[in-house]
Amino acid sequence: MATDTVPTDEPATGGNGRGRVILRRFRRHKLGVAGLAVLVLLALVAVVVPLVWPYGHGEITPDLSQPPSAAHPMGTDTLGRDLFAQTLRGLQQSLLIATTVTVVACLIGVTLGVIAGYFGRFVDAAVMRLVDLTLTLPTIAIAAFLGSVVPTGGVNWLALSLVLGVLMWTPVSRLVRGIVLSLRSLPFVDAARVMGAGNLQIMTRHLIPNVADHIIVAATLLFGTAILAESGLSFLGFGVQPPDTSLGLLVSNAQSAVLTRPWLFYFPGLLIVVIVLAVNYAGEGLRDAANPKAALANPLRTARRRRDADTPPDDTPRGVLDVRGLTVDFGDQRVVKGVDLHIDDGEVLALVGESGSGKSVTALSVVGLLPPDAVGGGSVRFDGRELTGLNFSQWREYRGRRIAVILQDPSTTLNPVLTIATQFKDSMRLAGPLPADHRDRIVALLDGVAIKDPARLLDSYPHQLSGGMRQRIAIALAMVHDPDLIIADEPTTALDVTVQAQVMSTLALARERTGAAMLFITHDLSLVAGIADQVAVMRAGEVVEHADVDTVFYRPRHEYTRSLLALAPSLALAPASRSAAADIEEDS
Amino acid sequence: MAWMILRRMLSAVGVLLLASIVIFVVIAVSGDPLADLRDRQPPVPPSVIQAEEQRLGLDLPLHERYLNWVGGLFQGDLGPSTIATRDIGAELTDRIGVTLRLVVVAVVIALILALIAGTVSGLRQRRFPDLVLTPMTFVMLALPSFWMAVLFKQWGIYFNEQVGASVFATVGANSVPPPQGFVPFLLDSAAHLVLPTLVLILVHFAAWSRYQRTAIAESLAGDHVRFAVLKGLSRGRVVRSYVVRPALVPIITVVALDLPVLLSGAVITETVFQWRGMGGFLLESINLRDGNAVLAWLLIAAFAVVVFNLIADLLYAIVDPRVRYGN
Repeated sequence: MATDTVPTDEPATGGNGRGRVILRRFRRHKLGVAGLAVLVLLALVAVVVPLVWPYGHGEITPDLSQPPSAAHPMGTDTLGRDLFAQTLRGLQQSLLIATTVTVVACLIGVTLGVIAGYFGRFVDAAVMRLVDLTLTLPTIAIAAFLGSVVPTGGVNWLALSLVLGVLMWTPVSRLVRGIVLSLRSLPFVDAARVMGAGNLQIMTRHLIPNVADHIIVAATLLFGTAILAESGLSFLGFGVQPPDTSLGLLVSNAQSAVLTRPWLFYFPGLLIVVIVLAVNYAGEGLRDAANPKAALANPLRTARRRRDADTPPDDTPRGVLDVRGLTVDFGDQRVVKGVDLHIDDGEVLALVGESGSGKSVTALSVVGLLPPDAVGGGSVRFDGRELTGLNFSQWREYRGRRIAVILQDPSTTLNPVLTIATQFKDSMRLAGPLPADHRDRIVALLDGVAIKDPARLLDSYPHQLSGGMRQRIAIALAMVHDPDLIIADEPTTALDVTVQAQVMSTLALARERTGAAMLFITHDLSLVAGIADQVAVMRAGEVVEHADVDTVFYRPRHEYTRSLLALAPSLALAPASRSAAADIEEDS
Repeated sequence: MAWMILRRMLSAVGVLLLASIVIFVVIAVSGDPLADLRDRQPPVPPSVIQAEEQRLGLDLPLHERYLNWVGGLFQGDLGPSTIATRDIGAELTDRIGVTLRLVVVAVVIALILALIAGTVSGLRQRRFPDLVLTPMTFVMLALPSFWMAVLFKQWGIYFNEQVGASVFATVGANSVPPPQGFVPFLLDSAAHLVLPTLVLILVHFAAWSRYQRTAIAESLAGDHVRFAVLKGLSRGRVVRSYVVRPALVPIITVVALDLPVLLSGAVITETVFQWRGMGGFLLESINLRDGNAVLAWLLIAAFAVVVFNLIADLLYAIVDPRVRYGN
């Protein structure tokens, strides 16, 4: 197809490659593999064993109510039927029906989900109403009613599967719709459209392959639900009918035999439990393989540290921050390779580098928040005291009060369910009980970051404010305790260019007023000139150049610094000036 | 806020109206309620069948039947039953209370337990309580409710036999006749409630605590938690206001969406424990081919689901200001 030659970043790279990656990840998920193995084994048993087993599921033997024995491994029922043969039949029925239900539900769910997500608007609204409608109907009631109206002779397995499938497609369609909704505005869809692909072609060739892994996960979990639904219906007498049998029916027949002939009750019941457990573990394994969550961060836990035999000498020049030989390892990969940084009182150090150079991980190590799968090493000294190895409560003496941090994305750093005033009060309480005039103090802080009419937004929630406003509030929060060191990790990257300049000057102004030192992390050299005294350039986990700002800009020594400078638009080198308070405009 | 409630209510009424049409049509076209009467031997005189058709309104076209039925609903008439002596409305009102007792107690307990277990599991992932709770919930998710119900009932009977006293009541929602006086009645109800609610609680506890665990894990990894830690807040404050509170939003939807499943579960539990509740009513009506009774049941179920979703929306607005201010 023509689109193959267009360099669009389609998330699913050629189906096969991604499939193989998922498969490799899945193989590492032991419980998932075990679940899948059990399922395959059961399916094989359901197909093969009945062919060779001496008894049929309806066959009446002379052995009445026998406990399990060599001839009847699961015993016999009151009529003398072999329970093992009946259970095998039930297993066949359950797997067959659940598979059909899953296929039917996925067909409906994927079709409607893709259509709703792709077309949006009215189509989407109509499909979602249909989902609402289906969700108001208790599956078992509708299925039971429809099952009962089929003429005598029992419900045909296909009819039962269709009914259940028609009632169970909603989770699939919701999932698919959500993903398609986020995919359809991506460049590769536009590119396909420009290349002349029709709606149908885009949906089938570009969108469905991209949700395939999610569909497989959803289908697996649906399969488990279908097994439970089918056996529940059969238990109530509205599913599979005698003389045929199913696991639910077997349990139903054994209701009064739990204490007298327990084998009749436990074998079919436990088989259902085993099937569903295996399905759920396989589904969990597939889900983890399809969307691996790199060990979710937990800032409440302290990361592991490498034991260093050689503590750095004590003759280190005493500055606000002194980092010596900092290393960070993820597994056997070292992403920060012995970084040294030094910041004097009131000085601004810009840490510059492209994404993946290790600058953000360096910043996280300085504040003790490495992700759980990282191992840190080296020394971080703040005002002459070693910070590495502190526990949570020891860290609290520094965090917020002496070291303040401003994070990259203002849309996620503030707590969405607390008002602005509450978030300030949380910080202010660190220094003791709230003073009576705390609201005035918050207003003053907000005033300090050039927010007009601050009293008005004390009781607002973050989502009511623009990105630039939120970042200013984050800056004001950092200033609550007049910190000695501010660490700003790409504080303007997530903002619009016009807002960037305003937030930069706000930050510069606020820092100047408190006289705090600052570690300013950015990939954008053009932001550095106006704010930094010193610049450290980082590449591939190493600091390649560490000098004052003029040297870096006019006499760069390292090749890499030169190439970074060449990339920075020369216009922007006249940056957010340090005393640019005049052109700060409220951006909301 | 008021506008939002009004909008949600209008949409709820719309869904309900649509649901009523769909279930009416499905029930009307799927089978003849008089099939038994027609097949009877010796044959019933045609005049009797005709009179019966007239009484049930089967001789009218479908849309007229629907309008008559809806019109009747507004006057509190749920339509004629195939059994001439059966009053659908009166019987249902008796039984709703029984089912409600079961479902409400189960939902409340399951939700509280799931919130606690899910939160602890999410905060201590892959460490002590989570290492036990997670496999436990997986097993619970795989237990079919009907199997559990039978198992608990029989164990209850066995326990009673061993002790020689009926500690667990395994039949019905109350003793027959119910004991006099408030306190004995309450104790009697509780004895009957324990086992059936336990089944429903286990089924839903497992699913809900999984959701809560995921919500907590995601909240914990969020930037706002990292920011709160960097602000120097205490561990307790971070957990309470920055991890748990934002994570309470998803579980509300999950519980509201699970209500139909709960009602289905109640059908099974009531059947096993022989409660005369909504579940039994549904199964009897299906066996009697009593279309209007099934309709009434489905309508009440749909109504309950819609109301629950509305309550969920309101709770949402209380927990999450983003919803409250119509974002």
